Amino acid sequence: MKWWKDVMGMELRKILAYRSDFWITFLGQTFIQLMVARALWQAIFETQGVSEMQGFTLEMMGLYYLIAPIGMKILNGPNFGFLAQEIYDGTFTRYLLYPLSVFQYKTLTYLTYSLFYSLQMIILLGIYRLFISEVAFTSVDVGHLFLGLLLFIIGAIAYCMMGMMIEMIALWADNIWSLAVMLRFFTSFFGGALIPITFLPVWAQNILVWTPFPYLLSLPIRTIMGLSTFQEVTQGALILMLWTLIFMEGVKLVWKKGQFKYTGVGI
Amino acid sequence: MRRYLMLYLYFLRFSFSKAMEFRLDFSFRILMDILYYIVNILFFKIIFLHTPMLAGWTEEQMMIFVSCYILVDAISMTVFSSNMWWLPHHINRGELDYHLIRPVSPLFFLSLKEFSANSFLNLVIALGILIYSLVNYSQPFTVADVLLLVILILNGTLIYYCCQMLMILPVFWTQSSKGFMDLFFSMGIAMERPDRIFKGWLRVMFTILLPFALIASFPARLFIEKFHWPTFMHLTAVSIVLWMVMLFIWRKGLRAYSSASS
Repeated sequence: MKWWKDVMGMELRKILAYRSDFWITFLGQTFIQLMVARALWQAIFETQGVSEMQGFTLEMMGLYYLIAPIGMKILNGPNFGFLAQEIYDGTFTRYLLYPLSVFQYKTLTYLTYSLFYSLQMIILLGIYRLFISEVAFTSVDVGHLFLGLLLFIIGAIAYCMMGMMIEMIALWADNIWSLAVMLRFFTSFFGGALIPITFLPVWAQNILVWTPFPYLLSLPIRTIMGLSTFQEVTQGALILMLWTLIFMEGVKLVWKKGQFKYTGVGI
Repeated sequence: MRRYLMLYLYFLRFSFSKAMEFRLDFSFRILMDILYYIVNILFFKIIFLHTPMLAGWTEEQMMIFVSCYILVDAISMTVFSSNMWWLPHHINRGELDYHLIRPVSPLFFLSLKEFSANSFLNLVIALGILIYSLVNYSQPFTVADVLLLVILILNGTLIYYCCQMLMILPVFWTQSSKGFMDLFFSMGIAMERPDRIFKGWLRVMFTILLPFALIASFPARLFIEKFHWPTFMHLTAVSIVLWMVMLFIWRKGLRAYSSASS
């Protein structure tokens, strides 16, 4: 347990090392994405002359696009290269001396970021409710908020495993940055960060339920907004856990095949 | 001028030979950019399943706008992106000295040295998307209209470059540009939306202060709608002022540069 605390504490200090960066990213990035999305949907609502689309009012759409980018950050954890960079630098070897495996260590550091961004989400939701739009929060309550965040954290573990599989391709390829970006595109689009997936054609939605993407983003967002039933949440959590197990097996397989490729020299 | 052109040809040659060394990355980068194009096209296709017009444009008009910003992105990724990635590192590590003592403009060298050969194919694909959307456009247009559109897209790329530089240059004073760069990429989404959706202070910000909405939206407007002098003058004036502001901050930054690494 002590290792957990040490690793997470160290990672937290890293996150807060550049405070100006932290605040610019925290407030600026979220606020701008929200404003641009809101402007787009306002134009669509005005053109259509409706007050609700696919179950979303304009206020709810604002809340959706506040949660979506921070939700993406919770999933993305420490961002690209959390494993690949060390393979390239040849510093991967140091984990041989650590009292916990490289995968445990990396999952812990990943979760530190995810938990930290979850806290950011709580703060931002509070600010949004107090100063911007109370109307959007009619169906939001503390219970739904924590269930949604729990789904995000389970999703972050699944996404971390997916990320690890891709990052370990660095044992063969010279640059996996593009692959990681592709995973982000898929998650962002098919998870519902760009557009709520209820706006997708029904046939596409029916295909997506067989992938992890709607459970990674859309379900937690809808849960926080109070739009999911308890049954949907538990079902989603179980599906995410199943995907996590599948990706963990994938990580083991890639590592088994690739560990002998590691030279420890760096490029 | 000839010396700079020759120098750029050398940059191209080195970049292509370097890209060929990392063949797998070469293919990944192509796939990544294609996926980016598909996601952006699909995004608007889905929006148009729920509305016949957006910001006064129909779907075929929106596709011209989408192909404009895809092309700006492709040019930027090919010509500037690697250089923009390394610039804050050079400043932070005190490596700018090597560039300051060369007998060429350091801004030219640092902005154009790395040509992303692996994005070059995507530039061709992006151009293909623009041609496709023009061919399928039902309204009449002339060769002069297309020529103007191409010039304005190039101008949009310059605006994009200036905005990115404005977000990188604070590194001369702040030691880290990560926050500002994250902000830049977030603001980049304003380039991917038609400018008419922005109202009030948001419009002032995206059409004058940090003119992301001018990058592709104004060129598309000048092509799709009747040529409008005030829009053209706005675009020209903001581009010139932005370039001058960027140069001013670059020079200020160089004066603040300490050569010490951090």
